[in-house]
Amino acid sequence: MKLAYYPGCVARATGKEYEISTRSVCSALGIELEEIDDWNCCGATHVSNELVAVGLAARNLARTELPVMTGCSICYSKLRSAVLRLEDNGVKRKVNSVLEREYTGAEVKHLIEVIMEVLEGADDGVIASLEGLKVAPYYGCLLTRPCGGIDSPENPAVLEKLLRTLGAEPVDFRLKMKCCGGPIFMTEEAAASDTAFKILECAKESGADAIMVVCPLCHLMLDANQHAMEKKFGAEIDLPVLYVTQLTGLALGLGVEELGMGMNSVSPAPVLEKLEAARGAEEEEGEVC
Amino acid sequence: MRIGVYVCHCGLNIAGVLDPQDLSEFAGTLPDVEVARDIQFTCSDTGQETIKEDIVEHKLDGVVVAACSPRLHEPTFRKVIADAGMNPFLLEMANIREQCSWVHMEEPARAQEKAKDLIRMAVAKAALLNPLVGEVMPVSQDVLVIGGGVAGIQAALDLADSGLRVYLVERKPTIGGYMALLTDVFPTNDCSICVLAPKMTDVYNHPLITLISYAEILNIEGSVGRFTVSGIKKARFVDESLCKGCINDCAAVCPVEVPDEYQFGLGKRKAIYMPIPQSVPLVVCIDPQACVGCGLCAEACPVDAVKYDQEPEEFKFDVGAIIVATGWKPFDPARKEEFGYGRYKDVITGLQMERLLNAAGPTRGEVVRPSTGEIARSIAFIQCVGSRDHTVGNVYCSRVCCMYALKNAQLVKEKDPDADITIHYIDMRAGGEGYEEFYERAQRLGINFVRGRVSEVQEVDGGLVLTYEDTLLGRFRNSRYDLVCLSTGLEANSDADVVGNILGLAKRPDGFFEIAHPKMRPVEAHIDGVFIAGCASGPKEIQVSIAQGGAAAAKALRLLSRGELALDPVTAMVDTDKCIGCKLCVEICPSKAISVERTAMVDEASCKGCGTCAAACPVDAIDMRLFSDEQILAQVRAATATKREYPFIVGFLCNWCSYAGADLAGTSRIQYPPNMRVIRVMCVGRVDPSFVIEALRNGADGVLISGCRLGECHYDKGNYQAYQRVQVLRGVLEAVGVNPKRVKIIWCAASEGEILAKEMRTFVDELKEIGSIGDELKGGSA
Repeated sequence: MKLAYYPGCVARATGKEYEISTRSVCSALGIELEEIDDWNCCGATHVSNELVAVGLAARNLARTELPVMTGCSICYSKLRSAVLRLEDNGVKRKVNSVLEREYTGAEVKHLIEVIMEVLEGADDGVIASLEGLKVAPYYGCLLTRPCGGIDSPENPAVLEKLLRTLGAEPVDFRLKMKCCGGPIFMTEEAAASDTAFKILECAKESGADAIMVVCPLCHLMLDANQHAMEKKFGAEIDLPVLYVTQLTGLALGLGVEELGMGMNSVSPAPVLEKLEAARGAEEEEGEVC
Repeated sequence: MRIGVYVCHCGLNIAGVLDPQDLSEFAGTLPDVEVARDIQFTCSDTGQETIKEDIVEHKLDGVVVAACSPRLHEPTFRKVIADAGMNPFLLEMANIREQCSWVHMEEPARAQEKAKDLIRMAVAKAALLNPLVGEVMPVSQDVLVIGGGVAGIQAALDLADSGLRVYLVERKPTIGGYMALLTDVFPTNDCSICVLAPKMTDVYNHPLITLISYAEILNIEGSVGRFTVSGIKKARFVDESLCKGCINDCAAVCPVEVPDEYQFGLGKRKAIYMPIPQSVPLVVCIDPQACVGCGLCAEACPVDAVKYDQEPEEFKFDVGAIIVATGWKPFDPARKEEFGYGRYKDVITGLQMERLLNAAGPTRGEVVRPSTGEIARSIAFIQCVGSRDHTVGNVYCSRVCCMYALKNAQLVKEKDPDADITIHYIDMRAGGEGYEEFYERAQRLGINFVRGRVSEVQEVDGGLVLTYEDTLLGRFRNSRYDLVCLSTGLEANSDADVVGNILGLAKRPDGFFEIAHPKMRPVEAHIDGVFIAGCASGPKEIQVSIAQGGAAAAKALRLLSRGELALDPVTAMVDTDKCIGCKLCVEICPSKAISVERTAMVDEASCKGCGTCAAACPVDAIDMRLFSDEQILAQVRAATATKREYPFIVGFLCNWCSYAGADLAGTSRIQYPPNMRVIRVMCVGRVDPSFVIEALRNGADGVLISGCRLGECHYDKGNYQAYQRVQVLRGVLEAVGVNPKRVKIIWCAASEGEILAKEMRTFVDELKEIGSIGDELKGGSA
């Protein structure tokens, strides 16, 4: 499978481990990624002017003939919104009038769609199971929006399905769809922290060993800010927050360096230990037999 | 031909601007004209007598009256010539009052020229008129009522009480519809089944009503006055004539339990079951999907009514009219995922609440939490679930939900005055006699009202937490309840699609059946002899459904009471030698009057004479008996014979809206330039591109086509057909080097004389800009 890869700005900033693990997992799954040449912002920074936002997205989409894959939920949502808006011929004409390459239409996929697709077709042997690991699947707000994408925008189940495919146990996570607070972190820090901390508490209460995220901004809020919030709210969380590609990579037997696990703020060590213990027990069992 | 022309003075209404004597002298010079006169008041007794005498004396076979609008006096003059022994369809009128003397008062000379053209056009058409005879057809006086809800029941009873035989076909094992399942009903909170059950029994006992329950209609053929209906009565596996309706003997021994659809999933029923205690017919039914064939019920039945080998029965009968009362279906609230219906047991629908409140329901009238069986002490009602909601594609208001939520909230409050009840609404709509008072009563009982959409329902620690905006306080809030009741809206009944397709009923964008006119013909379908009652044409409360059932019955009675139908002879006809059987006309006909078996056939009883088929036919195989191609082309040629105007415009105006609008401009004395010669058509769908081309070829500088406003066509979509044809024609004109702006299509209602006048002025200016029709071709290499 060959796809155009749209990294998005965060992949080169706070979400480096997401890009590292994305490239490793795709390579392990035989997905060839061709980075879009001279890509620009997905449009998320221009929410105040819809036409500019759509135009920015369209410029990226027009630079390839391949289906476009991104791992960032914000980019995914923005690119998809643009595709929908560009169905309007008036908008398309306006946007095309300033593009160097004409936008004629595009297919946008989220990384997890691609992973699911490949894993569903893969042989059983490909996956070294994440058995014994309880994971809170965190969707955030934009993965399923606008509607008509990979799953229901109100009650999705695609991440649970992916976790089960990887052998992990998805926990019942009530706040899985709540916004992480990221978009208002700059302007309303207190409100953003409140929101993010509730999500962390809820995940902790649900008994998860880790939270799985699919968006670098969610990761920033839940992982990088976790210690600061623990201090602020005077409560211990200490919950590893792993990217979907990191968990998938572990299931595929990739090494921690290949998955950029050293870059996570909250140490993923407990997760690795638990997995190792489970696998060790399994092997021992195997030897006895 | 021997044509008589009568130019009316209409006192000074015409003669004040035009010179009738000059006009009649002019008419006398036209070919085929035997006699021409000007008369003071043509519609007066003396005027009428003059025409009658002339018909006899001059052996006339055509009459032209140049006077007022044919919309006013065409029936009068048709009767005059019929009295003199002529066929009434040999009359043509030239409208020199509303569309000439009254609208060009400042320009008598140009108006006089226009009047001459109008008379020449009328004479040219009159020379080609054919005598038409409307046939009288005997009809069946029986009526089919489809659907045994309250609307269908009312229609059946009213018809049968008036002496007509009725076939009432219901697909469920019992009649009664949704009303039979409701608890008390607004605005009086009387018991629903108590007022409905007597009507259901009356249906069963009426000697003139044949009730066919648990049945499907498979086909309907024919047209108004002579429909043939066939269908199938499904097997109940119980002999209707033997079953005594004792219910419990058989159901008690049945080992199979399935969710009860009559309790909306809240209770259970057996595989052999009585749908509701008041079922009509009072006969049990075996659900073949659930039955395991153990034979216990057959053993238990004291009268041996259980028949496992029962076969479906076919039925077939003839009727003269059909009433469609196919009802509605509840919106599936699982589509609004944020409310958690289907995920959380304690989120229920309005219909489930009806069953909980019903003394005959699964909880004997207690409102409990389905998750625990405990009495619910705090209840939230969420309004507009599936209504007024673009996210599910339902823009419309379901009309009954505010009232039924108010009612159910009151019923709970009456049982438990301390219950905490909140209604989350967008707007409370309580329009109807006694409805606002009903709303106030709910307020007095201490029911809370919160204005704003609920964004989410979540189950938290065994309770339901609502997240919502209180738009009156301007706050986002969370509240916790034991039970959440979704006031689900009404949707079009998809089960009725089969019947709708067989009959060719049109659907509105909201999915409900479209009525012939959104105001003036509330219970008539576009198809002659078919009527629609109740929620089949949109959400309605019980009171209105009953009124519509009665109204549909009255319409059917009016149609069939004489036992015969006089058919309008103004219909389409097919030249079978030319027809290639392409079926384009079948698709386009709004009255479903055309069928094709090798070649097309027009059912003259159903044809309404709009003529859109004639314009659409690719091989000119369809023509109209009146407003024929030949007649209209003759009018076009006569109109363009002298062209003493620049720019010169030929207009095609639809009879119902635009021609009436032009008449209104006249009666309102709205002045506009006299550049246009109008040809009246029944519908702009009749305008064949060849008419337009003929006008341009003969030197008209522009052609104006004006139809009803979009969505208001009297033949459903004739104006859309016209629009499409004009678009194609414009492309063709452009390709041959003629400015496509010479052909203009506009929409004008009968009330919009001013708009027609304004469009005329604009079009004249536009054409002046474009120049004379010859300009494009001059010097070109056409």
